[in-house]
Amino acid sequence: MGSTLRLYLTCIRNTLDAAMCLQNFPCQEVERHNKPEVELKTSPELLLNPVLICRNEAEKCLIETSINSLRISLKVKQADELENILTKKFLRFLSMRAEAFQVLRRKPVQGYDISFLITNYHCEEMQKQKLIDFIVQFMEDIDKEISELKMSVNTRGRLVATEFLKQFI
Amino acid sequence: MAGAEGFVESDNAEAIITRIEHKTRKIESLLKQFKPVEALKTALEGTYAMTSDERCKSAHWIVVHRAIMAIKDVDGMLSSLDPEYYDILMKYLYRGLATGDRPTCDQCLRIHEKLTERAGHGCILRFLTDTKLKPISSEDLLNGRNFQMG
Repeated sequence: MGSTLRLYLTCIRNTLDAAMCLQNFPCQEVERHNKPEVELKTSPELLLNPVLICRNEAEKCLIETSINSLRISLKVKQADELENILTKKFLRFLSMRAEAFQVLRRKPVQGYDISFLITNYHCEEMQKQKLIDFIVQFMEDIDKEISELKMSVNTRGRLVATEFLKQFI
Repeated sequence: MAGAEGFVESDNAEAIITRIEHKTRKIESLLKQFKPVEALKTALEGTYAMTSDERCKSAHWIVVHRAIMAIKDVDGMLSSLDPEYYDILMKYLYRGLATGDRPTCDQCLRIHEKLTERAGHGCILRFLTDTKLKPISSEDLLNGRNFQMG
């Protein structure tokens, strides 16, 4: 792992570790409702300063925290058109199965590729450290996954082209 | 009354800008003498008395950015920096991380790791809960607007 990637992931891990202090908090506007404040933004006093951590122009991570929920949005590196479409398709595939991941948001925040929404219930049910590990592991794997996909598309393309052009020999 | 207040505010801003210019000269001379830690201390001094004026904020950021980028030995810098500056430095590191500029981000990530080891998560949490200094609004982040670099 490159040194900047390690530093970038450590920075996100530390920030998440500090930010993930969530507690149950009922909605202040509607009686008997309990909603993630980071999504609704009903009262400014319940929100914390959002943090944007960039590795470079293309890779960034936005962490928004509120009293009972935390939203992490990621932007994945896309070097060319092919990576762009692969990332879009792959992350859409994951987003459509958001229930299986529990903490995944169905729709990414505008300007980002994928978002996670962690509420106080997730923190109660699961171990905080494991949740953070999952996010960091996900970020580590996504780049690897995309480059593998890209490689297999290129290999397949080459094979198909060779087979197709054989008939003209 | 409001007009008078506005005048005082802008006058104050002018005074701060002049002070920052003075500070910039001091930092430049310290950097020339190869004293990056002294320069960073000078840059961080008095930042808590910042106004809400955007011009002052970005002028301040340019000064601190200059000092941060000059640091080579992070461990040495942190051990000679007083703990009272840690919170302010953390604030500026997050500001640097939000710029998306590769050299700035690399440097800020490096310092961030060491600073967290030294100052703990409380330092990060104090930045997250800071109500006085809103370095960036989430609308700006969503619209893809980052900080203005000098």
